[in-house]
Amino acid sequence: MTDSALALRGITKRFAEHVAVRELSLDVPRGAVYGLLGPNGAGKTTTIRMILNVIAPDAGTITVLGTPNTAPGLLDRLGYLPEERGLYKKMQVRRLLRFLAELKGVDARTADRRIDEWLDRLALRGPEKDWGSAKVDELSRGMQQKVQFIGTLLHDPELIILDEPFSGLDPINAQALKDTVVELKRRGKTVIFSTHLMDNAERLCDSVCIIAHGDKVLDGAVAAVKSAHQRRNVALSLEGAPSSEVTAVLQDPALIWKMDDNNRYFELEMSASGDPQHLLRRLIGAGAQVQRFELIQPSLHQIFLDRVGAAGVEEGMSGHG
Amino acid sequence: MAKLWTVIKREFLERVRNKWFIVVTIFGPVFFGVIMVLPAYLSMRGMRDAKVSDIRIIDATGVGLGDRVATRLNGGPMGDAAATQVVVVAPNEVAAAESLATKDVMAKLRRGYLVLDSLTLQQQKASYAGRNASSLNEMESIQSALRSALLGQRLEREGLDPRRVEALTRLKVQMSSERITDKGRGGSGIGSAIFGFLIAFLLYMMIVLYGQAILRGVLEEKTTRVAEVIVSSVSTDVLLAGKVIGVGAVGLLQQAIWLGSAVALYQFREPIFLKLGMPAMPNLPLPQVPPMLIVALVLFFILGYGLYAALFAAVGAMVSSQEDANQAAQPVVMLLVFSIIFAQPVMINPSSRLAEIVSWVPFSAPVIMPMRMSAIQIPWYELAATLTGVALTCALSVWLSARIYRVGLLMYGKRPSLRELARWIRQA
Repeated sequence: MTDSALALRGITKRFAEHVAVRELSLDVPRGAVYGLLGPNGAGKTTTIRMILNVIAPDAGTITVLGTPNTAPGLLDRLGYLPEERGLYKKMQVRRLLRFLAELKGVDARTADRRIDEWLDRLALRGPEKDWGSAKVDELSRGMQQKVQFIGTLLHDPELIILDEPFSGLDPINAQALKDTVVELKRRGKTVIFSTHLMDNAERLCDSVCIIAHGDKVLDGAVAAVKSAHQRRNVALSLEGAPSSEVTAVLQDPALIWKMDDNNRYFELEMSASGDPQHLLRRLIGAGAQVQRFELIQPSLHQIFLDRVGAAGVEEGMSGHG
Repeated sequence: MAKLWTVIKREFLERVRNKWFIVVTIFGPVFFGVIMVLPAYLSMRGMRDAKVSDIRIIDATGVGLGDRVATRLNGGPMGDAAATQVVVVAPNEVAAAESLATKDVMAKLRRGYLVLDSLTLQQQKASYAGRNASSLNEMESIQSALRSALLGQRLEREGLDPRRVEALTRLKVQMSSERITDKGRGGSGIGSAIFGFLIAFLLYMMIVLYGQAILRGVLEEKTTRVAEVIVSSVSTDVLLAGKVIGVGAVGLLQQAIWLGSAVALYQFREPIFLKLGMPAMPNLPLPQVPPMLIVALVLFFILGYGLYAALFAAVGAMVSSQEDANQAAQPVVMLLVFSIIFAQPVMINPSSRLAEIVSWVPFSAPVIMPMRMSAIQIPWYELAATLTGVALTCALSVWLSARIYRVGLLMYGKRPSLRELARWIRQA
């Protein structure tokens, strides 16, 4: 447990009209990039706010970096980028960043040094223009996002929590964010981010937790999650159009449960009793010219759709935001 | 604590750096200066332009009463009696002289004319017509000149020496006024009443202006979502406290600059007046301010400001838009307006039952009590009880507001109903 950056044990949060988070438990290993995935209204932001001790859970315990999350001084070791970005519009960028750093207990001189480093690094300070001395509302939206990102990292936090970090980012900033996340991991920091964009999660995360309607659907290392959901999916390409014998094999319900037919390319899902090796033998026996026959893993996106879609139907909930 | 200081510092510096703050803070003393110098300047202009003597006297008395009035209108035998034109006529020529005088007044040659005849001598009756007939002050000066002239004329008729008559009838009366109330003699009349009213108004303005500044500040943090970032570093209580203290410090700084420059202006009024080519005002009625009053003023300002600032902060945390804010702030503003509505009746009669009650109610006490204190003597126990009441209400308002603030700051959308608000307070 001590090597957990974050451990949630049975946390529950009820609001007047609904349960936002129900009995959620999860562990985030130190040094991991962890994805908190779920549709809108799943309880991601509520969970993050409870981790940050902005709101208290009705039940359960939260341990952050080995101490209870109510421990004094703990917030100074966390960095948080909220989903809805915003800054004091009338404030000078450098003063604003110094303010944010001082709120995290960084002394003014260290803060100034780091601010300059970051401004250089994210191209907010150049030979002809130093955006650090401009007011926030003179900056473009993309630049404001960079400033906010700097504010999240100025105090060199050990655990960084990013709530929907990619929403509203232009492609260049999104790339900068990914690069930074990878670099933070390299330096041994733990990064937790919530997102509903599975592509990013699949590429960046070591581990994920999928929640929907306040319930945990699944969690674990990305590779483990994917192999657990391996449904013996098969990608099949044929040389030329399928003969009637081949079509008959593909339509055998004893073998195949679901088929995505693209004429010469098929994505097949084996039925419960079907065996991929048996299928291959039958296809060749029917005279098919097989170009590609591959057992494929489902994408996180597919798993997400399958599991969350199912959970939503099972509970019959309306899924309010 | 270090973080509280960081929040206070930001609130204070960002506001003090604002150009409007600088403009208003500098403009304030200029305004004070104008208020102080202008009446003196105007009254001097008024004296120079005094046209009371610029009239025609149609004298049909046959005893030279017109000349006596003219002398008195122009400040005695040493004055410039030529300013007033005296036309001596026979009783049957009065009507013609009047119509001629009317034409002259219409042609702006004279301000008006005074008709004196035998009736004036027998029944003290005279008539005046002119452009300034509605000016009470000017009519009063003409009447008093006439009264004194008539008196002189009668005394002379009784055989008194004209020079003695002149000396005897030239009286100038000075009367000082002092209030007596149920509690005895107290205050120095109009001077301290105005001072008290100014203090009340200043306190009211400060609470309104800086309370609204808090409301706008909270709303800004909420609508720009900066609040989300900040509460991941400090608790909402620290943020609220820092905001209230920081903005309050700006208010105190502004008041200190204003009062300081007002006192400086008063100290250096003579050189300033000389520069403007005016004689220094002999006695500006500035009441003595006892140190007790100053201490009480500061206490009432801090507590009153804290009370309302917390309420305004709660309103800011409740709403998500400026339009909603204006509506939701109305109950709080009403409480404030309620106290300033009673300022005038209290100023007129600071020891009435109404004044007492209004000065005890914690929501109006911070504005009304300092005003009463500067007008009359308040027993120390009454003062202590009022201060305690305001302090307790302030604590309660801060406690309630902190809870509303904690929940509301991260809630967006519809304004909460009273029932939801009660739940916020419970669950926070």
